[in-house]
Amino acid sequence: MQPLANVTPLKPPARAGAIEVKNVGQVFRTKSQDVVALDDVSLEIKPGRFVVLVGPSGCGKSTLLMMMAGLRQQTSGTITISGAPIPQPDPDRVGVVFQEASLFPWLTAEDNVEFPLALRGVPKAERRAKAQDALKLVGLEGFGKRHPHELSGGMKQRVSIARGLVQDPPVLLMDEPFAALDEQTRMTMGDELLRIWAATGKTVVFVTHSLTEAVYLADEVIVMSARPGRIVDHLQVQLPRPRTYEMLSGDAFGALRDRIWRHIRKSA
Amino acid sequence: MSAKKLRYLIVIGLIALWELLPRTGLIPELFLPSLSATLMAGWTEAAEYGHALAVTLYEVVFSMAFACGGGILLGAIVGSLPRPRILIMPMVSSLYAVPLVILYPVFTVWLGIGSESKIAFASIYGFLPTMLATAAGIQTIDPQLLLAARSMGATLSQRLVRVIIPAAIPTVLSGLRVGGALVIVGVVVSEMLISSAGIGYLISRYRTILDSPHVFAGVLLVLFLAIAFNAAIRWIERKAAIWQTGTRAAQANDEITSGAMQPAT
Repeated sequence: MQPLANVTPLKPPARAGAIEVKNVGQVFRTKSQDVVALDDVSLEIKPGRFVVLVGPSGCGKSTLLMMMAGLRQQTSGTITISGAPIPQPDPDRVGVVFQEASLFPWLTAEDNVEFPLALRGVPKAERRAKAQDALKLVGLEGFGKRHPHELSGGMKQRVSIARGLVQDPPVLLMDEPFAALDEQTRMTMGDELLRIWAATGKTVVFVTHSLTEAVYLADEVIVMSARPGRIVDHLQVQLPRPRTYEMLSGDAFGALRDRIWRHIRKSA
Repeated sequence: MSAKKLRYLIVIGLIALWELLPRTGLIPELFLPSLSATLMAGWTEAAEYGHALAVTLYEVVFSMAFACGGGILLGAIVGSLPRPRILIMPMVSSLYAVPLVILYPVFTVWLGIGSESKIAFASIYGFLPTMLATAAGIQTIDPQLLLAARSMGATLSQRLVRVIIPAAIPTVLSGLRVGGALVIVGVVVSEMLISSAGIGYLISRYRTILDSPHVFAGVLLVLFLAIAFNAAIRWIERKAAIWQTGTRAAQANDEITSGAMQPAT
């Protein structure tokens, strides 16, 4: 299927960034009963795609993302990232961006970005250089010496994105990264994220509650139902790129958003 | 007028009142000797006060080492492991409500009336709030931070050193502040009750012979000890916790220092 000429022993580059989820289930065991959080979820994400997961609260979309990050193990089924399973977090393959609160408040922006490199003992000079590049990519050049409490909500999320990208993983997972931001900042950050995505060619999996954000950002939207979490629809968003504000009021946009909304209303 | 200036004025006013009220005879010298008389009394017996201060300081330093070292260590264990927490916390919390000073006579029976019984009493006295604050500090660490560290591949020991400890510093420091202040109280009170040396002993002895200036000279000395301790803690806080603005730990910190954890004396 893929050309074999440029295959390296460890990671076939052609599959770098591909995500495969096969028959994955997740059961939370409590004292009184077992709760099925995810039931037989399968999906395939090609390298470089921007995929958004939406669904009502409790549909297990964040759980699915945590399993892709190696932060949680599925009860059944398999997940592979770039062709290999992910039994524990691997920042070389997967970067994760959380909600606002996950920057270390006692570290400066650049120390936060360097954190994953410091964990594996990368020399200081190399760390600093990589952190500067990552901060530049997210548009925060010159803000490296600030502490998180000296940055706005949007800037903090830029730092988080820089931290997720600093080891240059082919996959970036984002768990409601803009949920805590106000609407205007959220729109700007969406555009910024698309710019960064276009510049780096990462595979992005993005969890959100906002249907508008989902359609605006995505190549593909995966709609999930609640308890047990199942995939109920998988839409291709054919809108041209770059996405613009005017598209939000177009018919094509509205039709996609309506289709997602009908699924969610049914299952909620 | 700025609040700072006003504060200085109030302090200066109080000092002036301290001098003036007894001198004009509005308050009898027995109840409140004038500031100058107090300083003079301290000065003439400087050697005696110096020796007493050395004894008290020695007891305070050792008690603080035991109280803070033990409090932080046990607090960290109790705060991070659920099982010991369930076993120990209710006990410690109810123990905290007991006026521990009732145990002091028992300590003198066990350890004599020398420094050992003071150190033992003050250590336990300061230990409880330090431990409770540390445990609370570790528990209030934002789980998102630990999750983020894990997602970046942090091992257990890396999470402890690079996340848990720095995140807990502000609350631990506020525990030290309360615990350390209680250590000073514990040492001085135990010296006042049963002992043969130290500032508390001097205060107590001069009181029995109604020598007010000497009593107040001792009180002043304890006051300076407490102020010096507070300044030292502030300095450490500034050094260690410049970042704490707006974190959950800082909020927990406020609750503790704002009186949620007042000791039962």
